[in-house]
Amino acid sequence: MNKYLGNKTAILLFILPALLLYSVVVFYPMLQVFFRSLFDWDGLTPGTFIGLGNYTRLFDDSLFHTSVYNGIVFALVITVAQIAIGTVLAFAVAEAGVRGRKFVRISVFIPVVLSITVVCQLWMAMYNPEYGLINRVFELLGISYRQDWISGSKTAIYALAAVNAWQYMGYHFALLLAAVKSVPEHYMEAARIDGASKFKAHLRITIPLMAETYKFCLIFAITGGLNAFANMYIMTGGGPGTSSYTLTYMMYRSAFRVGEYGYGSASAAFLVIECLIVTLLINRFIARQRIVY
Amino acid sequence: MRPLWYRQPFKHGFLWLYALLSIYPLFWMISYSLKSNDEIFVTNPFGLPLHFRVENYKTAWESFNVPVYFLNSVIVTCATVVGSLSLAVLFSYAIARMRFRFSGAARIYMIVGMFVPVQVIMIPLAILMRDFHLANTYGSLIVPYISFNLSFATMVFYGFFRGIPIELEESSCIDGASIYRTFFSIMLPIIRPALATMIIFVFLAAWNEFPMALVLISKETLKTLPLGLLFFQGQFTTDWGAMGAAMTIASIPTVILYMIFSDQVERALTVGSAVKG
Repeated sequence: MNKYLGNKTAILLFILPALLLYSVVVFYPMLQVFFRSLFDWDGLTPGTFIGLGNYTRLFDDSLFHTSVYNGIVFALVITVAQIAIGTVLAFAVAEAGVRGRKFVRISVFIPVVLSITVVCQLWMAMYNPEYGLINRVFELLGISYRQDWISGSKTAIYALAAVNAWQYMGYHFALLLAAVKSVPEHYMEAARIDGASKFKAHLRITIPLMAETYKFCLIFAITGGLNAFANMYIMTGGGPGTSSYTLTYMMYRSAFRVGEYGYGSASAAFLVIECLIVTLLINRFIARQRIVY
Repeated sequence: MRPLWYRQPFKHGFLWLYALLSIYPLFWMISYSLKSNDEIFVTNPFGLPLHFRVENYKTAWESFNVPVYFLNSVIVTCATVVGSLSLAVLFSYAIARMRFRFSGAARIYMIVGMFVPVQVIMIPLAILMRDFHLANTYGSLIVPYISFNLSFATMVFYGFFRGIPIELEESSCIDGASIYRTFFSIMLPIIRPALATMIIFVFLAAWNEFPMALVLISKETLKTLPLGLLFFQGQFTTDWGAMGAAMTIASIPTVILYMIFSDQVERALTVGSAVKG
C-alpha cells in the first residue's frame, strides 16, 4: 500500500502543476511586495535600493494617515452593521413559525451574488442628489433632508461603507443563521424553564456557543473593510479631494497613476501587516476554547 | 392561538423591513431599466413602469458592447472554473491520500495563500503579467484567477478526501487498478458534492472579479462585464434606462444560479468559515 500511494511519478504529476502556478502567481508576488517596498522603483527600470525610505516617507504622508483612518472607519462601520443586523435577522428567522422565511433569506442574500460594479452604480443612482431614490424618499416623507451623499467630504466614507454593508449583509446572515441552527434547542428550553428571558438566554447561551462563527465573521468583515478598493474606485475615485482614500486605493494610485511602484508596494506591505495583526488579535482573544456542555 | 406576527410585531416588522431594504433597490433597478428618463426622473420614480420599454434592452445590447463583455466573462469564467478545480483536485488528492515526505509542508504552503488579500499583490502581478507578455490577453485574467482560487479549493477538497476510508484504495489496488484509474474512476465520483460546491464558488468569484481585471485589462475587446459596465466614468451617463438594462443583463447569470441552487450557493459561499476558522 505504501508503494501504491507513494508512486513518485503520480505524486509529481498531481502536485506540480498547482504548486508551480501558485508559487509563481501568488507566493512570489507576495514576497515581491515586501522586497520592492525597499526600492525607489518606477516599474520599468531595476530601481534603486533605498532601505526603509519609502516607509519613513509613508509615515509622514498625510494621505497615508487619511487612508489608514478611512480603512479603520470603513471596517468598523461594516463590521458593526453586518454583525449586529445579521445577528438579529438570524435569530428572528431561526424562530419557529416565522412567516415568509424563504423570502427574507433570498432577499437578504441576493446582493451577495451581484457584481460589485452593478451594486456600486446602482447605489450611485440611489445617492444621486437630484434624481436619486434616497433623496426622493425623504422628499416623499416631507423631510427636507436632501444630501449630496457621496460628494460630501464628511459623509462620503460612511456612504460607501453603507453600500458594502448592504451588499455583504446576506453573507454574514447566512453564516450566523447556520450557527444559530446548530445550537441544540434543549439548551434554550432549559434556560427558559429556569426563568431566563428569551433575550437573556440568547445572550448568555446561544451567542457564546456561536463564538467560532463570530470569530470568522469578525475577521472577514474587518480585513475585508481594511482592503476596500472597488467601492472607492467606482463611486468616488477617492474623493471628494482625498476624503475617501483607503490603503489599497492609495497603492493603486501610487503605482498605476503616478508610477511610484516602490511607494505603492510600501503601502501594500503595511496593509498586509495590519491585516495580519488584526487576524492574530482576534484569534488570540475570541473563542480560544470551544465550549462543551 | 393568535398568529405569531400578531404576538411579535416588532420582530416581524424588522425582518420584513430589512428584507425590503435589501431587495427594493434591485426592484428599482429592474423597473428603471424598463422606463424612459422622463418616467425615472419625474413622473414615476418608485413603481413599476407604466409602459414596458423593452427597447432599452435592445439599446444596451447593441450600443454598449454588452455582447463582447458578456462573451469575455463567459470565456474567462469557464476557463477559470475548469482550470482551478482540476489543478486543486489533483493537488489535494496527493496531499490528503498519497504518502510522501513533504505532504504536510505542501499543505501549509498552500494555506498561506488563503490569507493573502488579492488586491495587495496587484503591483507585482501586473509587472509579472507584462514580463510574461500576457498583458491584454485572456491569459492575463485566466492565469491569476486560477491561481487565486487554488488555495481555497484545495482546502475544501482536502477535507473531503480525508473523510474517505482507506479501504477504497486498498481494494482497488488489489484489483489491479493503477493509481490514476483509482483517482479518476473511484475518488472523483465520491467528491462530487464538493466539486459542485466549488464550481459555484469559483464561478461567482470569477464572474464578479473587479480589481485585477481593472489593472490587467485595458483593451476594450477583452473587458469582462464588471469592467465594461463602468458607465458612470464613461460617456453614456445620460441614458439611465439603457444603463439599467445593461446592469440587469450582467446580473442575470448569477441571480438565476442563486435562484435555482439557493441552498448550494449559500453553502458554497459560507463553506469558508469551516476551513478558515
